[in-house]
Amino acid sequence: MSQLEFAHVTKKYGDLEALSAFTLSIQKGELISILGPSGCGKTTALRVAAGFEKFDAGRLIMNGHNIEPVPPQKRNMGMVFQSYSLFPHLTVAENIGFGLSIRKMEKKKRVSVVSDMLDLVRLVDVGHRYPHQLSGGQQQRVALARALAIEPTVLLLDEPLSALDAKVRVEVREEIRSLQKRTGTTTLFVTHDQDEALTISDRVCVMSNGVIQQVGTPQEVYDNPSTDFVATFIGETNSVTIAGNEVLVRPEHTRVVSDAEPDSYRGIVQNFSFAGPLKTVVVRMSVDESLVRATMTNTVGTEWTMGQEVGIVFDHILRPTT
Amino acid sequence: MNKRRTTWEWPVILVVGAFFIVPMLAMTRFAMQRVPMSLLGRDTLFSRWTIRGLMNTISDDKFQPAFLLSVRLGIVTVLVVLALLLPTVLWLHLRAVQWKMAAEVVSLLAYVVPPIALVVGVSGAYRDTVPWIVSTNFGLVPLYAILCLPFAYRTLDAGFAALDLHTLVNASRSLGASWQQTFRKVLIPNLRTAILTTSFLAFAVVMGEFAISSLLLKRTLPTYMVEAQGREPQGAMGVALLLLVLTTVLFMVLGRIQKKSPTSSSQEIRITP
Repeated sequence: MSQLEFAHVTKKYGDLEALSAFTLSIQKGELISILGPSGCGKTTALRVAAGFEKFDAGRLIMNGHNIEPVPPQKRNMGMVFQSYSLFPHLTVAENIGFGLSIRKMEKKKRVSVVSDMLDLVRLVDVGHRYPHQLSGGQQQRVALARALAIEPTVLLLDEPLSALDAKVRVEVREEIRSLQKRTGTTTLFVTHDQDEALTISDRVCVMSNGVIQQVGTPQEVYDNPSTDFVATFIGETNSVTIAGNEVLVRPEHTRVVSDAEPDSYRGIVQNFSFAGPLKTVVVRMSVDESLVRATMTNTVGTEWTMGQEVGIVFDHILRPTT
Repeated sequence: MNKRRTTWEWPVILVVGAFFIVPMLAMTRFAMQRVPMSLLGRDTLFSRWTIRGLMNTISDDKFQPAFLLSVRLGIVTVLVVLALLLPTVLWLHLRAVQWKMAAEVVSLLAYVVPPIALVVGVSGAYRDTVPWIVSTNFGLVPLYAILCLPFAYRTLDAGFAALDLHTLVNASRSLGASWQQTFRKVLIPNLRTAILTTSFLAFAVVMGEFAISSLLLKRTLPTYMVEAQGREPQGAMGVALLLLVLTTVLFMVLGRIQKKSPTSSSQEIRITP
């Protein structure tokens, strides 16, 4: 039995359908990411799960029970928000203990849980500090600890990393995954960042315009995208015409070779960039003048010059365009 | 750049300071020196200082009831204003942003409607249906609440606007808090400064309001002071001065409280839950 299930949930804002028959089942202990561009409905799905949004049709089921009429405070879902959501008038420890004091947990036990949580997010020394005395990364770790302290049935993460700088984002992302695995908390993670979704999720749900495009493991959605949107939204693609058919090919499955190699398509080098172990070559295809990007490992002796005539080989066709 | 700013700062501070302090010093001399007003000059600076006038007024039988009535009216007005505006402004920020402009306009009505029109209108409209508004002292409270609206609304509005309200409310509710608990444990503590400022300002308005209470024939502190001015002008001035000092002290206390807010870096660190 799934822990949380959206069954044909539809949510409209006037004429706009933010969620269209949204159907997703989340298993116990699983971390699912909802991935999509801004305005695709991913945050609406999360807010529906949290109880902050009513929906127009469908059912929302948690552990076999319809939770549509249950108010947010009774759903036992911990939530971490995009903006720093710590209560400014409470210390870190008081913030973590907030949900526990609402549940009237006795003080001794509460202090013990808070201490465990501080330990879990490696912030033992900052329990007495106020939120404004912490860095952004620390604040989000405290928010995570606060959400986990109540032992939520489902943990909801609403783009919790987007306010952080790149380095801290990677650290906190890894911490989220590690904590989720350790605590076994069922987690719904909303993001527009494909790297985040692919690296920490058990499964990824790709959305566009309120509609689920594909649900699968990160490998599945990357290697076998079921729609052009998924193929182009996750990773990079070249759109090229081969034997009269338009197809999508990943840059890493595209190779630039010397002009003499047989079975290769002809093209002219337009640009190239060097990034340490990898290099990217942009070639204009002779057949249809389209630009193709090839990402290859940087091996000694393979150097290209602008305007050079080269061959292009496609090792793997991702999918034909529809 | 910095130096130039500092050069300009001091004259401005001195001029503004003089604007407030010179009249207060003049009041002090008038209230506390038993010297005819025409002789109040440099030569008489240290002559015949006394608080007899102030004490005469304070010990007058009619002073204490008037003062206590104003204090009681002030406290009740503050409570009414907060009870009315806190949920309203919260609702406007969370659920009805489109109504904020209308609320701002309505809150300004106190400036548009003159006290005489307010009194005549209220007396006429409520004399038969809600007679206590006209007949009892506490009938002044709704009128005072209207007088306090312009700044009370704006102070609370600014307090709410300074918070990431939606996130705080959602965070609190997702952690299991009901609306009431969210209001009490999250919003009120974070609006402490706005609430205190509103309270002090509303209280100060009530302590100084003359027109409405006079028109409705209520003996509040301001109406008493106008009465007393004829009998004991120095005493009335002394009471006015005392009120000014009290208000200043109140605002200094408010300033201290603001500095102690957890968002201030000078805040001491508190204990665990």
